[in-house]
Amino acid sequence: MFQNFRLSMAWLHTWFGLVLGFVLMAVFFFGALSVFDREIDRWAVPESRFEPQPMPSFDNLLRPIFEKMQPTKTDIEQFSSRANGPMPEHFDTPVRWGAYTTHRDPVLNIFAGYEVPNAIHHDDAIFTSSTIDPRDGRIFPDDSLKIGSQFFYPLHYSLNFHWMDLGYWIVGFSSLIMLVALVSGVVMHRKFFRELFTFRPNKATQRSALDLHNLTGVVALPFHFFFAFTGLVIFAGIYFPVSHTQLEQLHDQHEIHEAQVTGLPHDRAGIAAPIASVDAMVAEAQRRWAERGMAGDVGFLALSHVGDENGYVSIYRAGTDRVALTGEGIHFKASTGEVLREDPPRTVVANVNEFLTGLHLQHFRHWLLRWLYVLGGLAGCVCIATGFIFFVEKRKRQYVKQGSQNARVVDALAVTTVTGMVLAAVGMLIGNRLLPGTLPAGWPPRGNLEEYIFWGVWVLAMAHAFWRSAPVAQARMNPAWVDQCFALAFLAPVAVVLNWITTGDHLANTISAGYWPVAGLDLALLVVAGLAFIAGRHLRRKTQTESATATNQLGSAEVQHG
Amino acid sequence: MSLKSSSSSPNLTPAHILGRIGAGILGGYVFVWGFIALSLAGLYAVGMPFHDAEAFGSIIGFLLYLVVFLWAFAAQSMGKVWLVLVGSGGLMTAAAALIQHSLV
Repeated sequence: MFQNFRLSMAWLHTWFGLVLGFVLMAVFFFGALSVFDREIDRWAVPESRFEPQPMPSFDNLLRPIFEKMQPTKTDIEQFSSRANGPMPEHFDTPVRWGAYTTHRDPVLNIFAGYEVPNAIHHDDAIFTSSTIDPRDGRIFPDDSLKIGSQFFYPLHYSLNFHWMDLGYWIVGFSSLIMLVALVSGVVMHRKFFRELFTFRPNKATQRSALDLHNLTGVVALPFHFFFAFTGLVIFAGIYFPVSHTQLEQLHDQHEIHEAQVTGLPHDRAGIAAPIASVDAMVAEAQRRWAERGMAGDVGFLALSHVGDENGYVSIYRAGTDRVALTGEGIHFKASTGEVLREDPPRTVVANVNEFLTGLHLQHFRHWLLRWLYVLGGLAGCVCIATGFIFFVEKRKRQYVKQGSQNARVVDALAVTTVTGMVLAAVGMLIGNRLLPGTLPAGWPPRGNLEEYIFWGVWVLAMAHAFWRSAPVAQARMNPAWVDQCFALAFLAPVAVVLNWITTGDHLANTISAGYWPVAGLDLALLVVAGLAFIAGRHLRRKTQTESATATNQLGSAEVQHG
Repeated sequence: MSLKSSSSSPNLTPAHILGRIGAGILGGYVFVWGFIALSLAGLYAVGMPFHDAEAFGSIIGFLLYLVVFLWAFAAQSMGKVWLVLVGSGGLMTAAAALIQHSLV
């Protein structure tokens, strides 16, 4: 394709990086926010602002809630394409009940799956989930959106675009391109190590953008590679569904064989049976973990084949003290409480796999590493954004000569994915605080409205970036950068003030109480505002000198600025 | 990396670029599919636990995808890229099917 290897790598880096960089910006930014998804949830759902709780009693608290759980209308609608004929009104046979928590969760996530008699695939089940207060079993309203863990977090791996799983595929391909961009980026640069220490902020924009691009790319290279790669491994089952398509027979054979080896029944017996005390089973599991010298917090509790003779209870240890998510599972016969099986130590491959995925998902307790993840994610954003700026700076004069609008488009999309994206996130938080607790009848659910606000602000920011982009075609800066920086500098503190007005939790309060989930997000919003203000002022000064120079050298295509 | 140096390549037509992109994405996909299927079926057949074989296949598979994707753009002959990726991907997929057939 090209004369040499380096040129073909440069071509790949430039053009694939340009096209998919816009997706990767969102992946890195919302991935960075996901590190503190539970904390963002606390900010967005003020009723959940209390300390993390252990797994509550199953017998007294969870069981009555599970027994009353039923799929919501939305769950049923979503399932209907996987069933023959109309869906049942009521679901009587629970396949699975589960409760999941981490050391950062005050609220408890529970889910239940039910048999669907007319499902197309006989194994298929309809699932529904709820969020409850583990102290008293109060159920949080369906329409309150946990913005961190239910919106920003899935946004970073699916773009919240679920039609035919297309969002997953776009992000997956972009991750592959991230890996490609890292390898090709290293190949392009001969002076790899010198670039680790090179940043010339006072040179021309093109030079300093490239320095920053190389610096953030090279310093965080292992981080970028690791996260793009493990992101792919986590969703390998979606990207290469080999064991559920081509090798499904082999997979089914393995499952039945495994059920024989483990003694955990694969299917229901069809004989009704009661459920013994699950709390006693939890106590026994904790006794066995303690014997092995392990911390005894329950992370995941699941009942399979609920109410059947073959039913069993699986209890897993929370992933606070190691990289793997949950583990050391102990399984009990549900009707008697006798131990059926203790999971054996993990194999080498399983260890490697859980280390890779666990280090990405980071459910263990390590606040320093958590912050390093945020920095790594933001470094990724800086790397990609400076890539766009370098692209525009390098070509804008050439495009002016050709009368091309390319630089204008790229620059407007860069504005959209840098300041526009942050504006959308801040706008969503503001919407979250401004929407009334109970909405008038006939309105869409509250959480949906918050999502519309997010996408609406983002589209507006994009329209604004394009509308203001004319100067780029004359090799000057798009004033939308300045406008949106100042908009951020104004709106981010508005979110902080609204949090104060609507909940009473102002910074002096939350900091003195040491309530960091809320104090942290408020402080982060103020930092965003400060940085946006500094950047906006700097850029405005630059546009002013730029237009002054431009008037002085009217008609000259060789406009330079310092 | 500039347009100038790349446009001096004689064969950089849109059709050729699309051919390369197709080879990297689709050819690479067929190849990695074959690799994951064969390593899953093959390793399971020789006694590795099912999910271990699956995890092994996807961890190595994505690294291979990266390598063959880069190769699709760096190789001199595009025809060879298509042939090698789709050919060996197809062969590995078929081998996996045969192993499954003999096990089930």
